[in-house]
Amino acid sequence: MMSHDLTRGEGPWPWLAAGSVALSLLMLGALLVLLAGRGLGHFWPAPVALVELENGRWLAGEAVKEARLPGAEGSGTRGRERLYRTANRDLDDGIWTWVALETIADVGYPDELVVLERRRWGDFIGRLMAVERDGRPLGEGKSAWTVLQARLVELEVLRDEQARLRRKTIMPLAARLATGPDAEASRDLARANAQLRELRAEMGRDRLVLESADGRRLEQPLVEVVRAWRPNAMSPVEKLAAWGQGVWRFLAEGPRAANTAGGVWPAIFGTVLMVLLMSVLVTPFGVLAAIYLNEVAHQGRFTRLVRIAVRNLAGVPSIVYGVFGLGVFVHGIGGSLDAWFFEEALPSPTFGTGGLLWASLTLALLTLPVVIVATEEGLARIPDQQREGALALGATRLEMLTRVVLPMATPAMLTGLILAVARAAGEVAPLMLVGVAKLAPQVPVDGDFPFLHLERKFMHLGYHIFDTAFHGGDVQAALPLVYATALLLVLVILVLNLTAIFLRHHLKVRHGALPRV
Amino acid sequence: MSDPSPSLHLRQRLRRGRDHLATALITAGGIGVIAALLAIGVFLVVEVVPLFWSTPTDTGHEVSWRALWLPQSYEGYDAPQHRWQPTVTSAEERPQYGMTPLVWGTLKAAAWALVIAVPLALGAAIHSAMFMSRRLRSRIKPTLELMEALPGVVIGFIAGLVLAPWVERHLAGALALVVLLPPGVLIAGWGWTRLPVRLRRCLPLGWAGLWLVPWLLLLVAAALGLAPWLEAGWFGGDLRGWLELRLGLDYASRNAMIVGLAMGFAVMPSVYALAEDALSGVPGSLGEGAQAMGATRWQTLWKVVLPAASPGVFSAVMIGAGRAVGETMIVLMASGNTALMTLSPFDGMRSMAASIAIELPEAAFGGTHYRLLLLAALALFVFTFLVNTLAEVVRARLRHRYRRLGGAP
Repeated sequence: MMSHDLTRGEGPWPWLAAGSVALSLLMLGALLVLLAGRGLGHFWPAPVALVELENGRWLAGEAVKEARLPGAEGSGTRGRERLYRTANRDLDDGIWTWVALETIADVGYPDELVVLERRRWGDFIGRLMAVERDGRPLGEGKSAWTVLQARLVELEVLRDEQARLRRKTIMPLAARLATGPDAEASRDLARANAQLRELRAEMGRDRLVLESADGRRLEQPLVEVVRAWRPNAMSPVEKLAAWGQGVWRFLAEGPRAANTAGGVWPAIFGTVLMVLLMSVLVTPFGVLAAIYLNEVAHQGRFTRLVRIAVRNLAGVPSIVYGVFGLGVFVHGIGGSLDAWFFEEALPSPTFGTGGLLWASLTLALLTLPVVIVATEEGLARIPDQQREGALALGATRLEMLTRVVLPMATPAMLTGLILAVARAAGEVAPLMLVGVAKLAPQVPVDGDFPFLHLERKFMHLGYHIFDTAFHGGDVQAALPLVYATALLLVLVILVLNLTAIFLRHHLKVRHGALPRV
Repeated sequence: MSDPSPSLHLRQRLRRGRDHLATALITAGGIGVIAALLAIGVFLVVEVVPLFWSTPTDTGHEVSWRALWLPQSYEGYDAPQHRWQPTVTSAEERPQYGMTPLVWGTLKAAAWALVIAVPLALGAAIHSAMFMSRRLRSRIKPTLELMEALPGVVIGFIAGLVLAPWVERHLAGALALVVLLPPGVLIAGWGWTRLPVRLRRCLPLGWAGLWLVPWLLLLVAAALGLAPWLEAGWFGGDLRGWLELRLGLDYASRNAMIVGLAMGFAVMPSVYALAEDALSGVPGSLGEGAQAMGATRWQTLWKVVLPAASPGVFSAVMIGAGRAVGETMIVLMASGNTALMTLSPFDGMRSMAASIAIELPEAAFGGTHYRLLLLAALALFVFTFLVNTLAEVVRARLRHRYRRLGGAP
């Protein structure tokens, strides 16, 4: 009966074909869900557990994952262990603790556990005992937490003031002094420096007395604390606010602690700037080449060959473009530029090493075929009557191109450009050869002439993922941020591609109304 | 025609002049841009040639074509070996330049990627060209296009840091998944024929790509649940130990299977898109004729549509091979990067592209190592260029054939 049904119907094979569609969708969905879940979940304040072990030890930390002990048998809690992020690198020499589930006597979630984000030593997890100023207590026990929050707000104000002082007063004065001696400027500078010292002293007055879960005391200067929260005492609304704040800091701040903490702002900035420069370079040249191929060149065998060659260059691996960029742009052109214009800086290279300009040029070359092909498709779509009509009315070829053909091909060019940008934003391999840096101390744009520093190295989201995930010291600690960075990169690329798809659809609809030859 | 006025005449000439100038500029610019693109190949050849022409200064002895590809005898080894070890730690050591392991690694990674990608892509293409409902198809195609746009670095990260450790811990589960999924889908198909007609109408074959997803999830859960039993029953409770004892296979965490899976995932959408275009481009009259004679859709596909579209399908696979060979970040992050030459799917490898990405920034400009890496880049360039050209030519022929058969352009 069964075989009868299978042979009468379509048979078993269509189901395998359908299964491969389902499997592809499942894999894509799983990847996106994993990225979104881990990337966004990291910023949600996780509950902090206070764990009492059977041997009488205490520890406090966030549960990260569970795994089976190697070689263990049995089911349930037997033979399993749990990883806690206990932080406190300064006390324990490590931030992770594996605990066998069998040895746990009790797990509680007391409200008073605090998590401090610090500039040195990473996070602290434990209890806040007191806040002291110049050795005298400002708040102890329960009131310590409210005092700490108030002090953190004040600290933020002081920090802003300090940054402003440095940027607005000290840096210009230092720049003035660098050009020559200036009595007034040096007096002002001394005054500003004194102000800065005062601020720093004011900020350094407060100390926190902390106690870890196993009862060890720790004195923590308040200056080094960035943020403090009590996850167990937070309501869902507060957690949501903290989550939003966390996401914002991730987007807006620079990396700290060897890229394992902090944000990715310089990488976002570098990626966007590089892609912008690339677009500026690739659009005119790509459109020019497409116009030449489609409108000017004699449509013979040779042009057809060139067209196929250009199309195939889109399939050449990106690393080959990187090699070309390194050999021709960096060593060839960059080396010559250094020899001609930057001789005083040699042997340390200025343009003779990877940098923003060379990276943008390399990616422009890489995406050129994409733009050419898309623009050509747009041009080929325009019916010949339009061109003939314009020419018959006495227009020259230039007028025909600029008034009739190019406006009609604009959406196609835009589609090509967006696809090029989406491709460029995700490429990492060529950048590793021509100018990406794991940590660039200066962004390529600042207030110094000529404002845009094309020779500087820059940070890139994709390379940030690769470097943090594979070259960092503590991968486990960096993993959540890598997830978040990957999610960000994927989102950017998906949005760009969706825009391109939408534009192409729009284009089809518009040209569907035109008479076709 | 006499001039109405001299100023108009002047303007006319100005227009004409501007037009000539623009045409010249466009021609020059277009040719320049295309020449710059094609210069990539020229540059690589020019840089690689000195390798076999003159004695390099940094190593002092010539690199011969034979030495690159044939096994060489090295100190400390009895038999001649293929080795790629370009950086040396002490002065007495000689750098070892054998390109064969890199080529092997590249081809091995690409082959495993195609093993994963081709069945998946062709299956998906067949389903969406022949069986899928139009509405779903207009959604699925862009979705898979988006999948193509996922950056390699993200896929490599997931493969190297999430998938590889997971599979290492759940080796039996992964094996169970591979074994269970295809029959599981067939069971779904069989079960579907048993369903009452009303229910069957709710779950049409045209939407199976979507409603099979929960079923697949169920299968995954079942496979993971069954895995410990499977491992205890057949492999003595330890699959890794069994592999090592019985088959002599050492399991490396980042291995060819992981690379194949990740790169298959990355390559699959482009193969799918091209194969789907080829299949759905077959003139409708052919398929309709077969169905009118009483063939089922699957018979139509197998006997009529697939033979007609086979060049297009072939070119889709070629394009996929080209992408798999040149993909850098995924191999770099998921393969372990050890230059091994083994057949085992559980060993890592080092591909040419990954070697270039890792070693070129450190290689001395103009030295032997630098030129050898450029040779690898040239090989990648030539290979992908040829493969793509072949695919393009085949596709052009196919379009021509469809037009002759009177289908859509």
